[in-house]
Amino acid sequence: MNLKTILSIIVGCALMIFMAAFNSTQAFAANLPELNAKKVIEEPLEKSLVQRALPQDPLVCIDCHRMPNINTNEGVIASQSFCFDCHKKDDIIKVNVEPGVSLQITKDTFHDNQPDHRFIACINCHTDIARSPHKTKTGVTCISCHTPHSESPANTPHLRVSCQACHFQSKFVMLDPKDFRVKLSHNDYDGVPISLSNHILSDVEDEETCRKCHFKNNPVGAPAAVLPSKSILCMMCHNSPLAVGHPVFGLAGLIFMAGIFFMIAFWFKGSVKGEETSLHRKISLSSESIWNTIFSKQVFSLIKIFILDILFQRRILKESVSRWSMHSLIFTAILLRFGLSLFTAIGFYFNPEGNMLTALIDKNHWFTAFANDILGLFILLGIIWAIVKRFIIKPDHVVSEYQDNITLILIGTLVLLGFFLEGARILVTAIPFDMAVYSFVGYLVSKVFSLFSIDWGQVYPLMWYAHGVVAAVFIAWLPFGKMRHMFNTPLTYFIEAVDGVKNEKRV
Amino acid sequence: METRLNSPQTFQRFHILHRILHMVIIFNFTFLAISGFLLHFSGFGWTRFLVSLMGGAGAAGWLHRFCAVFLYFGILVHVFWLIYYKMVLKQNFRGLDSILPGKKDVSDLFQNLRYVFNKGTPPLFDRFSYLQKLDYWGELLGMQSMGITGLILCFPEFFAGIIPGFFINIAGYFHFYEAVLAVMYIGVVHMSDTHLAPDIFPMEKAIFTGKIEKQRFMEDHPGEWKRQQMIND
Repeated sequence: MNLKTILSIIVGCALMIFMAAFNSTQAFAANLPELNAKKVIEEPLEKSLVQRALPQDPLVCIDCHRMPNINTNEGVIASQSFCFDCHKKDDIIKVNVEPGVSLQITKDTFHDNQPDHRFIACINCHTDIARSPHKTKTGVTCISCHTPHSESPANTPHLRVSCQACHFQSKFVMLDPKDFRVKLSHNDYDGVPISLSNHILSDVEDEETCRKCHFKNNPVGAPAAVLPSKSILCMMCHNSPLAVGHPVFGLAGLIFMAGIFFMIAFWFKGSVKGEETSLHRKISLSSESIWNTIFSKQVFSLIKIFILDILFQRRILKESVSRWSMHSLIFTAILLRFGLSLFTAIGFYFNPEGNMLTALIDKNHWFTAFANDILGLFILLGIIWAIVKRFIIKPDHVVSEYQDNITLILIGTLVLLGFFLEGARILVTAIPFDMAVYSFVGYLVSKVFSLFSIDWGQVYPLMWYAHGVVAAVFIAWLPFGKMRHMFNTPLTYFIEAVDGVKNEKRV
Repeated sequence: METRLNSPQTFQRFHILHRILHMVIIFNFTFLAISGFLLHFSGFGWTRFLVSLMGGAGAAGWLHRFCAVFLYFGILVHVFWLIYYKMVLKQNFRGLDSILPGKKDVSDLFQNLRYVFNKGTPPLFDRFSYLQKLDYWGELLGMQSMGITGLILCFPEFFAGIIPGFFINIAGYFHFYEAVLAVMYIGVVHMSDTHLAPDIFPMEKAIFTGKIEKQRFMEDHPGEWKRQQMIND
């Protein structure tokens, strides 16, 4: 390549950039939505479209309500103007309550309080309000545009709380006895009617917003304290967000990861295919053989081992049926809960509006409630079986080590506290019988709890923290104690299958 | 780096990490190209059907961004490898094994052209021939500019606060035409120079198995082969 060629390439590139920029600027300027909107909307709207169309005397909807297309900015403004025409007045009040509350709302206040909804027609949300007299059956429908959220933003799905109860800036909430949903109240706590027409959105990042329900002796059955969100560590048994939630969980996660690191470092202390010293060579040799195994026929026998020996625990079954049953009660139940929560977390990310995923994030849905309760019960039964075997029957071959006992105590406490929590939740949130009966263990616990006249709304947060701390300790302890076998044993099976007795990595 | 493995007939050519990264690139590049072009032509006839197969424009966009992040993660791993190579393994980037372009590549190019027109002997390529170096650098640098324009298109509100608005349109044009260039380069040049050479056809396996046969090693990388023999002797 000579100088001329290089020069012409550079000049060509510069020309292309310049042309592209020139072309783009034109197109961009012409399509700017605000310019178009201003041109069309501003002058004809105030004078001709609304005022001439509206007759002076009685307002019958059909006279002026010529079905503007609310998918366009023009239609939205026309439709809004129709509503504001009455609602902008100072003296517009609700007459069927005493004292009458103001229903005033002007274009300016609406634009200030709801900047994101400026170009949304009133009837887009208040769908069936445009009639005389005003009357609504559906209320305001947020989720026709917005997707409902899962655990992470509000620490729990809050599926029985209406959107406005958190997102609007009125302090007063109530539990609607008709559908057991928490809604904004039209009266304050003294029974005096209040206006809800200001449309001011609240700052949901601020914990103060949560405290409008979460305080002592609240009327809606919320726990008395604002609890942190679940953590990613809780994924082992619960649907949980990709969050840390609380520093305790963060610490537990760090200890867990450090434990995994030390475990792997310990594996690499042994010799790999004769290499004794160089860590670099050990890692490249072992990853080389993993790669060769994955892309060979051996991978099918490994899949078989995974399904039979790891998922179905064939080798324990060969040793003893009772040992297999005991171990499977704990292991399979935890595995199923983990699978369910993983499926829920991933599925909700992709399809937050699906009925199935809404059911799966809803603790009170019959399937989720029943599945969680019965799996929890299985874990508890397995733990009880193991404890009975270790401390009461004491057969010769069972040698109880202190590490086994720690494991049993941790998992047992975790599940017990979980059931207590569920019972307290059912009691505090006053879930009706036909909904709560599917979480049968939790419902029984709640019946037992209701015999004690304690304020369970205040006990609930304490139990929640206890459950969380035990879970954090359990997770942090996984790679150090007895539970290390859930990483080591499958690996040993795999390595044995790949190269017989001569271990590639010594565990 | 070169080590004899069990069979005397094959030689280690690619380290396990580079094979994994190459697989990452194959996977992500393919899906990026498919989803990207489907998105660009999503309004036309039968592409609408294909986009709907992917779960709609939203899902295709999600896949496109996911693969882009995954691909760039691969590049970051590669950069960390380079740092590790230099700092921990104390190896040199320069030298005959290097993928950095050198004077020899230019002379190899002209010698190869002379050979193609039957006016001389074929060049003695070292570990990487000039075409392989071009593949590597074209992809590595191309992915940087695709990444930058892609970021601009992904966060237009953020970038409009830094650079003039029409740069977003420019980024759009660049992103599309460079994608065409990349797909053409990979599909035509890279595929044919690796797989379609008569003695390699139907498939070059070295990047997947990591091993190269003795015969191919001697023919395709005679420079490196000679140095190997000198070290071994």
